[in-house]
Amino acid sequence: MLPRSAQRRDQLAGLVWISPWLIGFVAFLAVPAAMSVYYSLTDYALLEPPVWIGLDNYRAIAHDPLFFLSLRNTLIYAFGTVFFGTIVSLSLAVLLDQPLPGRNLVRAIVFLPTLVPIVAVSLGWMWIYNPNTGLINVTLRALGVSNPPNWLGLPALAMPSLIFMSLWMVGSAVVIYGAALRDVPAQLREAAAIDGAGPISRFMHVTLPMISPAVMFNTIMSTIWSLQVFALPYIMTRGGPSDATLVYSMYVFRSAFEYGKMGYASALAWLQLLFTLALTIGLLALARRFVYYRAA
Amino acid sequence: MMDTQAPPFELTRRAALVAALAAGTGYVFWPDHTRPRAPRGRLELTYWEKWTGSERLALQKLVDRFNQSQDRLWVRLLSISDITSKAMVAIGGGDPPDLIGLFSYSVPVYAEARAILPLDSFAHLGPIDLDRYAPGIADLLTHEGRQWAGVNTCYTLGLYFNRAIFRNAGLDPDRPPRTTDELLELADQLTIRDASGRITQLGFSPNLPTWWPFIWPMLFDAPIYDPAHNRCTFDSPGCIAAYEWVQACADRLGPAATRAFAQEFVRSMHGPGDPFISGRAAMIVQGPWMANFIGQFNPALDFSAAPVPVAPSLPEPHLPRGMLEADVIMIPRGCPHPEAAYEFLRFMQQQHVQEALCSMHCKPSPFREVSARFKAGHPNRSIDVFDAIAKSPRVSILPQTSVWERFADESTSAFDAIWDGADVAATLTELANRLQRELDRALEMRRRRNAHRRDS
Repeated sequence: MLPRSAQRRDQLAGLVWISPWLIGFVAFLAVPAAMSVYYSLTDYALLEPPVWIGLDNYRAIAHDPLFFLSLRNTLIYAFGTVFFGTIVSLSLAVLLDQPLPGRNLVRAIVFLPTLVPIVAVSLGWMWIYNPNTGLINVTLRALGVSNPPNWLGLPALAMPSLIFMSLWMVGSAVVIYGAALRDVPAQLREAAAIDGAGPISRFMHVTLPMISPAVMFNTIMSTIWSLQVFALPYIMTRGGPSDATLVYSMYVFRSAFEYGKMGYASALAWLQLLFTLALTIGLLALARRFVYYRAA
Repeated sequence: MMDTQAPPFELTRRAALVAALAAGTGYVFWPDHTRPRAPRGRLELTYWEKWTGSERLALQKLVDRFNQSQDRLWVRLLSISDITSKAMVAIGGGDPPDLIGLFSYSVPVYAEARAILPLDSFAHLGPIDLDRYAPGIADLLTHEGRQWAGVNTCYTLGLYFNRAIFRNAGLDPDRPPRTTDELLELADQLTIRDASGRITQLGFSPNLPTWWPFIWPMLFDAPIYDPAHNRCTFDSPGCIAAYEWVQACADRLGPAATRAFAQEFVRSMHGPGDPFISGRAAMIVQGPWMANFIGQFNPALDFSAAPVPVAPSLPEPHLPRGMLEADVIMIPRGCPHPEAAYEFLRFMQQQHVQEALCSMHCKPSPFREVSARFKAGHPNRSIDVFDAIAKSPRVSILPQTSVWERFADESTSAFDAIWDGADVAATLTELANRLQRELDRALEMRRRRNAHRRDS
């Protein structure tokens, strides 16, 4: 065992080496987060010093129709992207797990969209969704649909269109599912097959439980990301039409930097954190019942 | 078997530390060649402005003129994107530039927060005569009786129309519509559709673009805000009539077809693919800058501009109506060199300087009296139209309230709903109620803030 002075020297050296991260964490996360709790209890317009108003911001939020609308829109987006994203990414991963020719190339192609900057993705999809000259409507017209819809221009279709395009970026989840699938012992599937289980039954009763930790990880991560969605609707629809795609983060941004209500925006942001935390805890509780962890 | 060979390269702590220090030192001392240096001995002023491209270059010419006109100050012009939020953060953080170029609707927000310095506090350095400005401009620069900003070009909105499309349809290209009824008739007449009902040429539609969804009440002589009582009046009979006309346009032209047509141009406005510049729209409401873009992308376009048509009961050709707005230049609180900044701001308020900038931006002059040279050499062939609106006693300015941004956002949503067939009166009543809550809350907050200021 090292003498105490040597231990202390080692601890000091360790602290010095992690100090850049520590300083960054304190300066850019811990202190701003603590300050935003205080700001949420003030009338703070950024341009003037904050004035203490207690819980007034939270009371105002309870009567703010745009708060409820943006929360509803965000939950719809989160449910759509997580639910359909899981189905699509899992299906792709299973497909790419088969010994098919060119699967490495396809795997790379599936992953590629996640490397494209979100602004480029958004602008590209705006062209694809263009009601008159976009790829989708031109194709639909060629197939005989005389009056294809205005995907981003109709309140009823704008949010589903954003959810649909988010499925284009499932590459990261596919990679994680792919790794999990390769880790499923082949003998378990073979044993199930010998017992008479068909492909669907084998997938549902052998493969899915074995990869359930990966499913849970992806579900939690994509839920957190989708609850914070901002760039896609901000670039593509600006929250319209008729606020149909006004998501929570966009409303927080507008409140802070367009309406100059930083105190109100801080309160909104803390509520967002609480929702996210509650959902994550709920998912983790589900994990205890549905996720199977193999013994090491 | 153990591998006894040493690795080809080992990163020691010392090497990592030296490399990090070398990189840091290099970064600090690396010469920044992209930034023009102020001549030795001059005080450097930083000026944030929103413009980019040709509009920025035009301003840079005048900044250069100022820099050459004396040997004490040097103004460095920086183009800043999303300038409103960055200005707020910079001022709130206590590190603003010397001058900021914002919008006239920013004046009440910044003035009420005392985030900008009132220009009358610099009167000892030479006053700025408010009477020289057109009355509407003077209103935009002042708030609660004090001047807070200098003007930096202004604009009004007009109806651009494609004369060639008028001629081809057998219409008189010198007789643009004057009333909203005429406008709707022509919009329908000049709209061409393909066999599937898709619009290939649009006559006119109020949703192309939806940048100013709040201007229609102005054309029906219906204010959207009553400053005397701090009331939102979006639910007044005049406003309801204005948006009923908007809905009539949607019904006549087809809400889905017009929306699809407008959606096609969301990212191509003011470029070669702009619906008006490319000849796909016969008429459009736009500002004077449009002439600049037409000259750039389709100089052969045969166009003209006229005042935006008004309600049938209101036409007074000699007293055109419309919206007047201005770009403004302000001195932020906490700026390093306020007096020097005021000197540059005063330079920009000189008539010949503003006229040069307005001319390069294709905009009307903000002054009551316009020099003969300004009109003679102006690149916008319809400048008289925009100038007449700017100086008209019937001109409207945006509500001078600190919650204007909320007005703009919420009226966009209401416009969308009305376009899609929502009940006009109910939608506007709900809009007015929501905005009134914001106005009341802002007033309450302001009272508390003032009380807090007095106490402290």
